[in-house]
This record gives sequence, C-alpha cells and structure tokens, in this order.
Amino acid sequence: MGEQKHDQPVIRVDDLNKTVGIGERRLSILDGLSLSIGAGESVAVLGSSGAGKSTLLGLMAGLDAPTSGSIELFGQQLADLDEDGRARLRAGRVGFVFQNFQLLPTLTALENVMLPLEMAAGRADAALARRWLERVGLNERAGHLPKQLSGGEQQRVAVARAFVTEPKLVFADEPTGNLDRATGQRIIDLLFSLNRERGTTLVLVTHDLALASRCQRRLHLEQGRIRETRDDVEPEWQR
Amino acid sequence: MIHLLGYSLRALRRDARASDVRALFIALCVAVAATTMIGFFLERVESGLERQAGRLLGGDLVLVKGSDFDADTVGRLEAAGMRLSEQIRSVSMASRDDGFQMVSFKGVDANYPLYGTVIIDRGDGAFDTQGGPPRGSVWVEPRLAQLLGLQLDDELQLGSQRYRVDAWLLSEPDQQLGFEDLSPRVMIQRADLDGSGLLQPGARLTYRLMAAGDAAQLASLDPQLQRWRDQGIRVLDVREDSPSLGRALERAQQYLSLAGLAAVLLAGVAVAMAIRRYVERHLDAAALARCFGMVQRDLVALFVLQLAWLALAATLVGALLGALGQALLVRLLAAFLPLELPAPGLAPLAMGLLTALAVLIGFAGPTLARLRQVSALKVLRRELEPLPVSGWLALGVATLCFGALLWLYSGELLLSLGVLLGGLVLLAALWGATWLALDLLFYTARWLPSTLRIGARQLALRRQASVGQLVAFSVTFAAMAIISLVRGDVISDWQARLPEDAPNQFAINIQPSQLDAFARALDGSGESRSDFFPIVRGRLTMINGVTARQAVPEEAREDGNLSREINLTWREEMPPDNQIISGEWFSLDEGGEPAPISIASDLSERLGIKLGDVLGFDIGGEILDARVTSIREVEWEAFRPNFFVIFPPGELERFGASYITSFYLSAEHQGLLNRLVRDFPSVTLLDIDALLTQLREILAQVSRAVEAILALVLFAGVAVLYAAMIVSHPARAHEGALLRVFGAGDRYLLRVQATEFVLLGAGSGLLGAALAELAAAALYLGWLDLPARLHPLLWLSMPPLGALLIGGIGLLLSRSLRRTAPLESLKLLGEG
Repeated sequence: MGEQKHDQPVIRVDDLNKTVGIGERRLSILDGLSLSIGAGESVAVLGSSGAGKSTLLGLMAGLDAPTSGSIELFGQQLADLDEDGRARLRAGRVGFVFQNFQLLPTLTALENVMLPLEMAAGRADAALARRWLERVGLNERAGHLPKQLSGGEQQRVAVARAFVTEPKLVFADEPTGNLDRATGQRIIDLLFSLNRERGTTLVLVTHDLALASRCQRRLHLEQGRIRETRDDVEPEWQR
Repeated sequence: MIHLLGYSLRALRRDARASDVRALFIALCVAVAATTMIGFFLERVESGLERQAGRLLGGDLVLVKGSDFDADTVGRLEAAGMRLSEQIRSVSMASRDDGFQMVSFKGVDANYPLYGTVIIDRGDGAFDTQGGPPRGSVWVEPRLAQLLGLQLDDELQLGSQRYRVDAWLLSEPDQQLGFEDLSPRVMIQRADLDGSGLLQPGARLTYRLMAAGDAAQLASLDPQLQRWRDQGIRVLDVREDSPSLGRALERAQQYLSLAGLAAVLLAGVAVAMAIRRYVERHLDAAALARCFGMVQRDLVALFVLQLAWLALAATLVGALLGALGQALLVRLLAAFLPLELPAPGLAPLAMGLLTALAVLIGFAGPTLARLRQVSALKVLRRELEPLPVSGWLALGVATLCFGALLWLYSGELLLSLGVLLGGLVLLAALWGATWLALDLLFYTARWLPSTLRIGARQLALRRQASVGQLVAFSVTFAAMAIISLVRGDVISDWQARLPEDAPNQFAINIQPSQLDAFARALDGSGESRSDFFPIVRGRLTMINGVTARQAVPEEAREDGNLSREINLTWREEMPPDNQIISGEWFSLDEGGEPAPISIASDLSERLGIKLGDVLGFDIGGEILDARVTSIREVEWEAFRPNFFVIFPPGELERFGASYITSFYLSAEHQGLLNRLVRDFPSVTLLDIDALLTQLREILAQVSRAVEAILALVLFAGVAVLYAAMIVSHPARAHEGALLRVFGAGDRYLLRVQATEFVLLGAGSGLLGAALAELAAAALYLGWLDLPARLHPLLWLSMPPLGALLIGGIGLLLSRSLRRTAPLESLKLLGEG
C-alpha cells in the first residue's frame, strides 16, 4: 500500500461542462469544472439534491458523455473511445456500488460477484468470487438470487462485486441511501476497510457530511462548480 | 365526462411518443389494414371470379324450365336491373341429303352471350364474336361436318326448315360438360325456331333465362329465388352452381378469410403485448391521479377514451392503407385478373372498425382493467402495485373476442366454437409446456458459459414475461405457418384435381366390337386413359311403384333427369374417385330381385331417393326394376366418366351398350385424333381441352391472389414480432446497460442478447410448429375439407426460422443499446 503515489492522477477532469435540454431551455449542470484525483485517494462528492453529483460520477466513469471538456481516466481520454472502448477501459479496473444495488436479478449472488471477473479476465473464477462473498459475510447465501436477499445483503454482494477484480478505482453512489442506519454503517465500514486494505481509489457521492468526513478530500458541488475542503491531516486509513 | 374528452385527447397526444402507444397503433393499423384490404380485395375479386364462373354458367343467375318464361319472371329480373338473354335448348334430328344425325341445338337471342365471346371459324381462321348466327343460318360443330359431310354454306335441315351453315362453331362460353349434350352442337337464332316445327308441344325443350348483374342486384333477387324454385323452376346461381369451380372458389374465399383472421390474430397478439407495457407505464400516473382525487370511474373513462381515440385514428389510417393495398394488389395481379373488377364497396370499412374495436377490447381490455385497482398509496410505496391481471382472464377474453370475429367472418357458429375450445385447450397446454421448459432452462443454465448463462437465465427468470412472449410468438409463428401451409395444400390440391395429364378428351359411342381396336390405338400412342364404361340409356319412370314425377318432391318435378334418358352403366368394382356415403357396394353373389344398384348422392338428394327405394327404368320400352343399396359421392370435377346409376354386371348387358372412355391427349399427339376420327367414324370425340384450360387459368389467378395474401400475412407477422420486441425492449436494455457498466464489450453483450433471442425464437418456432400442425389438421378436416397430413418440413424449419427472425429483430433493436451511453438506458444513479 505504500506504493500509492499522488503524482499520477487516476482521474483528470478539465473544463467540464454538462448541460441538459428541457424543452427550449438549456440547464447547465456542470459549468467549467476541473479536478484531479490521485491514486489511492478517497474523495467525497458533496452537494444538495440536483447539484449534479451523480452526473459528475457518471461522466467520470464514462457512463455518459459531457457537453464539452475533457475527462481522462487512467491516462486515457474518454472522448477518444467509443462505448465499447470505454467499457473495456472499465473492465476489471473500475468497481461500482449503487444506491439501488443494481444486482443482475437473473444471477445468483455468487454469479453476480463473478460477473466482473468474466468481463475482465474472460473466465469465471468461482473460488475467488466465493472468497469475496466470504469476506462480506455472505458465504451462506452464495446460491441465492437477489430477490431472496435483504437490501443490506444485496449491497454487501454489490460491494464484493465492486472489489472482486481488485480495481484501482471504486465509484460509490449514495451507497447507504436505501439502507437503514445500522446496515448503512456496516456497508460504509466495509467500504472503507477494503479501500484501506487494497489501496483503492474511492470516489463517493453522498450528501451525508459524517460519511464525507471519513474521506481525505471533500468536493462540494455548488452551481456546477467545485469547492474543495481537504483534511491536511493523514487520511483516515492512515490514522 | 365532457371535460374528459378533451383531456383524453391531449393526454394521448402527449403519450404518442411512447413505444407501446406506437406499437398499439401499428398493431391496430395492421389489423384494420389487413381486414379492409382482404375485404375489399376479396369482394372485388370474388365478384370478378364469379363473373368468370358466370361465363361457364351463361350468367350470374340462370333459370331453367320446360316451358317459356312468363312476363312476370322476366319483369322481375329486369326490374332488378339485370341484363337478360333467353335460350331454348333441345335435341333433334338434323339431316343433309340422306345423312341423319342427332344434334343438340341452342336457340340464342341478340344478347347472347352475357359474358365472354363465341369463337367461330368461317374458313379463314378462328375469331371471337358475339350474338348468334345471322337469321336463317346456323353455326355447327366441326364434327357434324364429318358426320354429315357438310361444307360451309351447305344447307342443313332442322325440323321443317333448312338453314345455311354460316360458320364452324369452335367454342361457346357457356359450353357445359354434361352427358346430356353428347350430340354435336348447333347454334341458331331463337327467332328462327318459330315455324321450324321444333317447338311443338311434346318436344323436350329446355328454356333458359340467363341474367347478369352485380352482387347487389343479384342479392336483391335472393327473396325471389325460393319462390321460383317452388314454381318448379330450376335456379342456377353462380354463387352455388358454378360448374366445377364451385369448390375451388369456395376454398379460395375460405382461405382469404382465414388469412384475414390470421392477420387479426397477429395484431391481437401485438396489442396484448403492447398494452401490458402501456399499463405498467401508467400505473404511477394513475396512482397520482387517484391521489389528486380522481374517482375510479373517471380514471377508467380517461384511459378507455384514450384508447378509443387511438382505435379511431388507427382505423382511419388502416382503412386508407387497406384501400391502397388492395388497389396495389389488383394492379399487381392485373395480368392474371383479366376481369373487369367492380369498385370496392363500403362494407369492408365497417368491418375494419369493428375489427379494431374487437381486437382492442378482447386483447387489451382485461389488462387495462388493472389500472382500476391502482391504490393512491402506491405513490408512497412503490411495491403496492395492483395484482397483475390473471393470464387466464386475459386469455379467456381474447379468445372469446377472437371467436366472435371468427363467427362474424366465417358465419359458422359451430366451427367458431370448436376453434375457440380447441384454441383454449391448446393455449393451456402451451402455457404449461413453456412454464416447464423455462424451469428446465433455469436449472440447466448453471452449466452454460457465462454469456449463454446470463441470456438463458434472463429468459428463464423473467418467467411471466417470457411465457407471455413464448406463447405470443408461437401463436404468431403458427398463424404464419398455417397460412403458408394451407396455401401450399390448397394449391396442390387444385393441381391434383386438375393434373397436367387430366383427361382432355372423351370418346363416346364406342361399339363393343370396336373396343379392342380402340384400346390398342390409344395404348399404342402411350396416352393415359380411363377404363371403358358401358352405357345403356334409360329413363327413370317409377319410384317405389309410383310414377317418378309424382313420387319426387314438388320442386324436383321439372328435374331434367326425369324427362330425359340418363346414362346407366354396370361395373363390378366401385369407380376409383367415388366414395360410399351410405349403404354398401353390392357384392357379386348378392343377386336377388330386384337388382341392387348404386346411385350418386346428387341424384338421391335432388329427387329424394333413399336407400331401399325401388326404381323403375324404362330401357327401350322395357321396365327394369332395381333397388338402391348404396349411395355414392361422385367426384364430378375429376373429368372422368361418372354415372348417376351403376348396376352390377349381368343386368344391363342384354339391352346392348355402347362404351365411353376418357383420355389425355398431349399437344404433340394431336395426329392421333385425326387417326381416330378416320378409323372409327362412328365414335364421337369430345374435346374438353379448352374448358380445362379455362379452369386452370382461373385457378392460377386464384392461386396468385392466395399468394399475395400470404405475403401480406407474413408481413403482418413480422410487423407484430417487431412491435412486440419494441415493447419488451426496455427490460432488456436495462440489463444490457448494467453489463456495460461492468465493462462488457460489444461482443459480450451481443452474445448475451443473441442467446436470449435465439432461445426465444427457436422455442417459439418449435411450439409454433406444434400449434400449426394441430390447427392445420383441425382446419383441413373441419373447414377446408382436405385430408389432414403431417408436415415434417414445418418441424425442421420453424425453430431455425424463429431463431433467425427473433434474433434478427432483437439484435437490430439492441444495436442502439450498444451505441448509446449506459446512463441513458437505465436510471443507475441517484438524483442530480
């Protein structure tokens, strides 16, 4: 974990604009935004509802295209890639945890965890996936379908799925939004302990200040621009 | 309610961009376009073909009786706007110098023929003409020239008058193939018959009053027909009595209606699929409306009104397309439809609207009812969705509505009920089979590689939707398959009835002493021929000891079979095309008095003769009694010698018989005809090649129409599949996008989706084949009167075709998914 250096950014965003059309009107969501996130950093994106947090996350992950500006992911300009290329760039290197879990309803818990492995390596490593399920405490539920799991269990499967390929970068979008406080707390603990353990870069979208305070950097999204507050003390995992 | 009218229209306009609304619109359009197009086309071609058939009959409506028609009858026909032509037919002796020959003459008027043309030859080549020969002259069949040594412009004595032979009569449009007309034909002006001594009381004359008009004029006479029949007039109606063509036309009509129904069924399937998505999409809006205080009745009215607007729009567009389509079809087929087609009427339009409504109510109604049960609380708690409509209810209502349409189209209640019941049983079986198959798929999927597994699991786990799609697609495939199957079988059945080497020549009047030589002449040339049948002519005079004319039902008293001699034959075996419908074929050792005979079902029906009746035949002045021991169905269309009455051997021989046979003469063997005429001058040869050609032409036209309609149904089927796939697209798009997020490349996505589509398509194809096979068997036996047969090609071709079709459409649709950003395809992220 000592090899995490902040000099080679994992994400570099430059003069990013995103406007959406509503009828005749154009609404600017992101307005000339620039930022850079280094390897191993934990970053919280904060903002009120509608501030564009999730939009920013989608853009950084290459799930959506900006109106203008450039985004570099792992040193690769996303604009230079097509959908297929962006998917390949993500495969194995980017993990996701969503507010509404987004497990594939047709796959068992184990198969859901195996999925990113298949995308990245082209083969299903069931043993590895099983170890990750064990890691999140769901070994017993490996053969269950998502609908047979509780919300907290589903999110734990999602966390296992996000980390199974040992990605360099994990995006989490309001990961506790659909969970009760205690369950949410357990998911957050899990997320941060894995982040610490694996040295993963973590980009967390939330409006929960307490949660954000556990990250090294906090990016406040206001009127399409970033205002950053930063802990000058050691990041949480080094404390 | 009034404010809802405007609101519903606005709501529909806002909603028009949704894929399910579009799918609904397209499906309803297809249903209306297909029914109106087939309706318009059928109406026009039907009357066009009837006209063609009318040529064979001589008119659309032909009245026949033994005496002249009174002014009242003529007046009624004229009042209905029909064009009329009167004829007198009979047989008489014609002579020239010392030669005598029995001829059958036909006196025609200036309006003859109502349809078609007469072909004559004045020694300088054949040409078409109309009207009869000039006054004082006759047109005669060329073989009379051989028999009497006649030349053009010679005089022929007929009755007490002499007539100049003006031309050779080569073909008449209303030339009938009947054995009463075996004598050479002579055509004469009707007016010339007066004073010829031929119209004496006691002469066996047939008066024919032929009328031509359009369908409406014909229909206006319907109430009159029975009255005429009651007066002892024989009424030939082109709709029932078109010679030889009746069954073929009827079957073509049935086929086209069937095709129309298939298109409606296809559209119904699409509506059923689209409405599910429509309702699911509107559940939130409905809950919200309930929150804001809309009462249930208004809520239902709102959605019903929206769909009614949609149906109205679809009917207008569909009817327009239907009208254009039929015009196109008629143009396309113009070369094959040398018929003057009447303009389309308005009836199909009403049928179109009715169909749209029935499809909407039947296939969408139960699902729409879900919106009624929406709870306002759903706004707060998403899981509070109303129970999905019971599949059985939806299926039941749809089947009921479809059955009603079937009844409306076919006019046969029993058939419709049978189809309904059979359809429900089949669907239940289908439902169960797909359910089990999906179970199996789910458990076996774990051993598949990941892309295949995801695809297979998606299919297996979205059970409700997949079963619905499998059932819908297999019904679609089955409908398409049935229409293709039936087309092939109908056409090949026609071809089987009229094979290329169907006998086109009849030889009659062959003497027993000539049999061997005649057979050698035919067999030596390698032409196929039927057996030689002996003919003895006799008149049916007594039935069960009572004069036949009194024993038969009143309306049959004028029947020609009572007044003229009919052909009797004897035979040990039953003729190959005949089929016993009651009684038993006599056995040789039966013997006994009176002799057992077999009669044709037509004769028994017309004259009311039953099994066990004793018939007395006057043969050359001697009365021969015989008991009816079997009734046969006779294939008169087979163009082989056929007989009303067959005796066992040993009864008729003593009366002295001549023989008849039929054979096929190919064009290159025409020389044989001349040899036969030369070597057997007393044998009469009848050439029916022209008649056969005419029949074949008509059948070819009908086949063309049938094929055009098949293309239409196939197109409707593909359109429906497309609509159904659009409707189920969002669910697939979501999963596809999710895979994309985790880094699935194009090929991975393609494999996952291809697996699902191919499985869906192949499964539907297989089930569709089973459904089509069963339905086709039922249709053949129950409706089309064709033998049922197994179609192995169907089973082999449908699964791959289904996979190809669904796979193709599915992958085409999912192409957009592979090009768009995942975020657009799914709501992955939270707000903002």
